[in-house]
Amino acid sequence: MADPRRPVRIAVVGHTNTGKTSLLRTLARDTGFGEVSSRPSTTRHVEGVRLLADGEVLVELFDTPGMEDPIALLEVLEAIAAPQGERLDGPARIERFLDGEPARRRFEQEAKVLRQMLASDAGFYVVDARDPVLAKHRDELAILAACAVPLLPVLNFVRSAEADESAWREALSRLGLHAVVRFDTVAPERDGERRLYEKLATLLDDYRPSLDRLIACRERESAERRADALRLVAALLVDVSAVRVSAPADDEQARPAVEALSDAVRAREQQCVDALLALYRFRSDDVDADELPLVEGRWEEDVFSPEALRAVGIKLGTGAAAGAAAGVGVDLMFGGLTLGAAAAIGALAGGGARAVMHYGDRLLGAVTGRRTLAVDDAILRLLALRELALVAALESRGHAATAPLRRDARVEQWREGALTKPLERARAHPEWSELLGEAEDADGRARAIDALASELSRMESQTQ
Amino acid sequence: MNRSSPPSFESRWLAEAVRQRERASGRLSDREAMRRARVCAHSAETRIIARAELLGEESGLAAALQTWRARIRAAAALSGVLAFLAGVGAALAAAGDGVRAINVVWALGALLGVHLVMLVLWAGGFALSGGGSLGVGALWNWLARRLAGDAVEAASAFAGLHARAGLVRWWLATVTHGIWSAALVGALVGLLATFLLRDHAFMWETTLLPAEFFVGFVAAAGWLPAKLGFAVPDAAAVAASGGAPFAQEAARQAWASWLLGCVVVYGLVPRLVLWVGCALRLSRGRAELRLDTTLPGFAALADELAPGSERMGVTDAAPARIEIGRIEGAVRFADAAAAVAIELRPEVAWPPDWLGAVRDLGVADSRAQRARALSELGAAPVRRLLIACDARLSPDRGSLALIADLSRRAGETCVWLVGVDAADAERVQRWHESLGQIGFADAAVFGADSQAGAWVTGEDHG
Repeated sequence: MADPRRPVRIAVVGHTNTGKTSLLRTLARDTGFGEVSSRPSTTRHVEGVRLLADGEVLVELFDTPGMEDPIALLEVLEAIAAPQGERLDGPARIERFLDGEPARRRFEQEAKVLRQMLASDAGFYVVDARDPVLAKHRDELAILAACAVPLLPVLNFVRSAEADESAWREALSRLGLHAVVRFDTVAPERDGERRLYEKLATLLDDYRPSLDRLIACRERESAERRADALRLVAALLVDVSAVRVSAPADDEQARPAVEALSDAVRAREQQCVDALLALYRFRSDDVDADELPLVEGRWEEDVFSPEALRAVGIKLGTGAAAGAAAGVGVDLMFGGLTLGAAAAIGALAGGGARAVMHYGDRLLGAVTGRRTLAVDDAILRLLALRELALVAALESRGHAATAPLRRDARVEQWREGALTKPLERARAHPEWSELLGEAEDADGRARAIDALASELSRMESQTQ
Repeated sequence: MNRSSPPSFESRWLAEAVRQRERASGRLSDREAMRRARVCAHSAETRIIARAELLGEESGLAAALQTWRARIRAAAALSGVLAFLAGVGAALAAAGDGVRAINVVWALGALLGVHLVMLVLWAGGFALSGGGSLGVGALWNWLARRLAGDAVEAASAFAGLHARAGLVRWWLATVTHGIWSAALVGALVGLLATFLLRDHAFMWETTLLPAEFFVGFVAAAGWLPAKLGFAVPDAAAVAASGGAPFAQEAARQAWASWLLGCVVVYGLVPRLVLWVGCALRLSRGRAELRLDTTLPGFAALADELAPGSERMGVTDAAPARIEIGRIEGAVRFADAAAAVAIELRPEVAWPPDWLGAVRDLGVADSRAQRARALSELGAAPVRRLLIACDARLSPDRGSLALIADLSRRAGETCVWLVGVDAADAERVQRWHESLGQIGFADAAVFGADSQAGAWVTGEDHG
């Protein structure tokens, strides 16, 4: 029977097309597991996956085919006669069925489910909460109950408007299933996994230590992943805000430099997006990728496009960016202080000696007929917003990300007012930027990123 | 858990060097290394390090690291020796050849002035910019990179690892204070030697300052060394040394002791303390240093080497084929029509009001309802049978089998998909496909209730 030294075996069962394979994918963080489609009975075999914490296998999950014909199956099961009037209990009845002819023919698919149930310590019964509770579901549960294995109903798609959670809860409790857990397989709530395992532990007391370890490990991992994600975003922002390029004073001659800088920013943003997707083990061809605000793993709107800025209500510093692509600001000491003003103020605020050197550069530029290009605040704001929204979407695997960047608390935070301190500081430190090659001061860059990442983490916690 | 000795800083350094090489020139052939890394303790970092150790041996990176490290150590030793010699030289120059009396304040400035200025600059830089390196540190940083030679990864991995852990400042500070300590030890040795072996006289000179200033300065500077047992010339001796050396033996010894004491207390001790402090901080930082497994290059490896889950593969293969009934019409039937509903959502009313004279077989959900519908229809087959299904549910083998069973009790059967408008387009498509598989033509599946009503009541035939 229960031996806490071996992994908990769990059969994931349910009616056809309720999201069993999706549940496994989410729990295993393996987006390539099995095959998922909205086509019913996509899974016709039993396939397992082991969940590890610190290298130890704690749980084995088995994906099973959907139950498709429970009404007829229950009839067959109930018709099984006991020899010499003996009373057959549930498992004995199931075993007798599995030995018989129907288990190899008409009910071969269901037989696989039942065989796996008998070999497991518990079952997750996945429910599509959008479906009404039908007679077939009741028969299905009666069959599964006969396996005499603890069953935990998992309500999937609970966030859908069509979902009727209370009807399901009532129906399940009438069948004696009082421990029920909500778990949206596509967009699980932040602590959804924890509650799932905790509920399971109430059914499997012998395995509580392993399940507790799994919970602790997964929570640690998710905290680490979040910190890493914010660090990736911070690195992008530091690189872009710190970069400075010298260009000819003449607009026409400066164009290639402006374009090169914009391209570098675009490439850097994409690099950040790729890294974030990889961090959360998302593949851009995932079925779930639809839930992200991306198209084939890229942002649809170019970061320099006025539409992208307008969508979140960010105003461009001042419009006339020397005929350049919108947003690559041009620092001009003479001939009007333009987009550079914000950057210069940032330099003063955070730079000290560096700021003086920065103005020295500008004076020198005025004499030599060159000027300094920097990326405008508006672009930084948009980059911050987009990437933080992506992190939030990835964290909840798509929840609330289906709508494009909304005017939410985060937008309020980033749209107006001063940029956050660590970011303004970076303005004055071109040697921190890795946008156009290795940073001259890798040490300073690393510290700037850490400072910004913790600031982002603080700001993000306010938006929730 | 099998836990061998925890990985050292060197092995993490090697892992970072391997990462940088792979970033620059593509992944090394690592099949064997991956295999062997996977049997190590399960943590992404341990396994990445184990892989790097194997690859480092093969690719010569481990040797390059050792070479660079040996060069750096040699350079450090050489710098130390040079600094020591420079210190000795400075002390001898400050003390002079014994013919002229030593100008004590001037000598003290020569011995400690540069050191104190650099110390203040270092402290300022350390506190303000958080480690912007000036002087010895900057020079050392430059030198370390020049020494890399063909071991580029060794140097940049070292720098990268320290930079990400915020240790560069401590590393440079350790080197800086180490070299200065050597120089000040040299100065002390030089002074001691010259005081032991030569006859020196001491004096002070001034054009503007009053004698009281020197008395006060000597006493103040000597206060701390005096606590450590160094002698301080008394006020009379100091006053007597103004302008010309004071020949008294005890006063000369007190002057020599005072000078040594100042070099020790204001020169050597602070540098040594800072050196030891920075070195301790550096070694603690290195011990706490962990590879950032989210860096490009490491992240992919971490996924491959230490996944949170492992696939077990298919444990029970899919059935070769699934038996599924096909529809077939009855041969004998009455010239009538009937309608039956399968698994409608509770909010859908059955029967619809347009059913009229059509025989209603009710809803066939449960086993009993299904059996009743089948037997009622079997007793009196009809020409036309309309089966209503909910388009928002998934078609399954159970409902398809029931539909096939029902179809054998009617001349002609059509399916009405209820709620097509509210349903997911894909689900509707699945219904069409599944019904097609059991023999329904597309024309026999209705989406609109008007079509279904027209067909079952026979209105479409006039």
